[in-house]
Amino acid sequence: MARRLRGFTLSDQAVGVLFMVPFVLTALFFMVYPIVEAVRMAFFSYNPLRPDLSAFVGLSNFSYIFDDQLFWTSFWQATVWTSFSIVFQTLFGVAIALLLHQALPGIAIFRGLLLFPYIVPTVVIALIWRWIFNPEIGIVNYALLAGGVISERIYWLSTPEMAMASTIMLNVWKYTPFVVICVLARLQSVPLELYDAAKVDGAGVVRRFIDVTLPQLREVLIVVVVFRTIWTFNKFEEIYLLTKGGPGTSTFNLAVYAFEQSIANLKLGVGAATGVIMMIMLSIGSVIYLRSAGFAREETHG
Amino acid sequence: MMSWDFLWRHTGRAVIFVTLCGLTFVVCFPLVWALSTSLKPKTEIFATPPTLIPKAPTFENYAALVTGRQQYFQSGGQQVDTGATPAQFFTRWFLNSLVVTLGSTLISIVVSTLAAYSLTRFRYWGRTFVPYFSLLGYMVPSIIFVFPLFLMMVRLELTDTLLSLVLGYVSITLPFCMWLMWAFMRSIPIEIEEAALVDGATRMQVFRDVVLPTALPGIIAAAIFAMIVSWNDYLFGRVFLNSLDNLTLTVGVMLFFEGTHVDWGLLMAACVLMTVPMAFLFMGLQRHLVAGFGAGAVKG
Repeated sequence: MARRLRGFTLSDQAVGVLFMVPFVLTALFFMVYPIVEAVRMAFFSYNPLRPDLSAFVGLSNFSYIFDDQLFWTSFWQATVWTSFSIVFQTLFGVAIALLLHQALPGIAIFRGLLLFPYIVPTVVIALIWRWIFNPEIGIVNYALLAGGVISERIYWLSTPEMAMASTIMLNVWKYTPFVVICVLARLQSVPLELYDAAKVDGAGVVRRFIDVTLPQLREVLIVVVVFRTIWTFNKFEEIYLLTKGGPGTSTFNLAVYAFEQSIANLKLGVGAATGVIMMIMLSIGSVIYLRSAGFAREETHG
Repeated sequence: MMSWDFLWRHTGRAVIFVTLCGLTFVVCFPLVWALSTSLKPKTEIFATPPTLIPKAPTFENYAALVTGRQQYFQSGGQQVDTGATPAQFFTRWFLNSLVVTLGSTLISIVVSTLAAYSLTRFRYWGRTFVPYFSLLGYMVPSIIFVFPLFLMMVRLELTDTLLSLVLGYVSITLPFCMWLMWAFMRSIPIEIEEAALVDGATRMQVFRDVVLPTALPGIIAAAIFAMIVSWNDYLFGRVFLNSLDNLTLTVGVMLFFEGTHVDWGLLMAACVLMTVPMAFLFMGLQRHLVAGFGAGAVKG
């Protein structure tokens, strides 16, 4: 490293610093400032229609939140939503990745089609969901009734349990490809010798999966689950666009709660305080991620 | 165990193929159904039994969106003018989305490419801190960014402008562009640059003629991710924008859904049209997706 750097002159160093200036400025304005401001707002009362009345209120935004039954409901619902989403995404994701890891004719087409939902705009998915899961005219109810699976219409988006199930389905549909991408990338780097050795030892398909593939996937699965848990827990659009948090408040999560406090109740301070609570939980998740992803090891390489 | 291997060899591939076909059908069905609905005349949309392939396919929904034709609905045998409808704004919103997406992507890419080069080729205080700071930045959900940024735009008197959205999207695209470009720049060998420098090329020449061409695949991948994130966002547009003329596609198309009369054919056509650009980007991205960026590279 020292040898490499010897060739660089002082003016050269200046170029290096100059290249950093746009990032530092942009990051200060659009990453650091909003986060600092969000934390500051958590300790203020702030009505966007009467900004002149903004005042320091200490911890009362937080005590408001902790006294609010809806916050705890949202928290619980977010947990349910996240757990089911993650379990299904991981199971489907690993299964699909294993299927796509085969040498079959047209596998590239399958891969393309199965990964596609990941980049479809959430607005589009939410609207399509509302169309196919429409209780009266939707194709899903029609197919289930015609197939004799159900005897009366399911109100997918207007009963609390089914609304939750529908948002989970949407989330699993959209984000399973993320798990597939990560697992597939890892599968492609598993040394083939490991499988050959296992075959020589007489291990069958199932044993080879349990003894060779799964241990190799362990690390990437931890990373994926932590990442996806953090993101899913804090998702806003997937819920808001499909159900607006309803019926009633039965699909609220913390992001929807924060949004409603800020927009509908005009309590930006309470919304910001909810955001701070989300960030604290997120930091805990990130620490787990940084520990498990083995960044320390990577550093010694680079 | 032998029986498993025996089964595997003889039927495994066929089973996998059939399973993949079934899975792909289920996964793609919502999109196929949306496409089908968008191509049906109004009478066929509610037909029983429903038809997957339209009997009388029509482009009237697309034509209405593209030409901004006035929409009517039937009421007691009479055509009633519904006044200004979202369909009239569709092309406008499409352009708005395009401008905002390209603008914010350009900023994020230029800024992060320069910074990534600097971070991986020069030594100074804080150079290892920046990438991890960015990684944390892109875990922060946009619901936390959006209101402080909105108040910033109010102070700058930029609310309800496309510029506010261009700047706002930088805060969600910059962190992962930075992380991605850093990871990519780090993987580019430094030797060619050194050779060029020794031969008397200036740093800017090296950057332009050697580094940028080598980094192009990384830049393209990061740009595609940034475009997807900006194009698909709803929250920022919903909070920053007000007037019909200035909306982006996501916010505008959600308006189609409001009111008592939902024109499903029109709505699905709008959904198809706003997904098509993403489909093209996706094709460009596919190689990069599986070719090794892995977990750190994708935003969800």
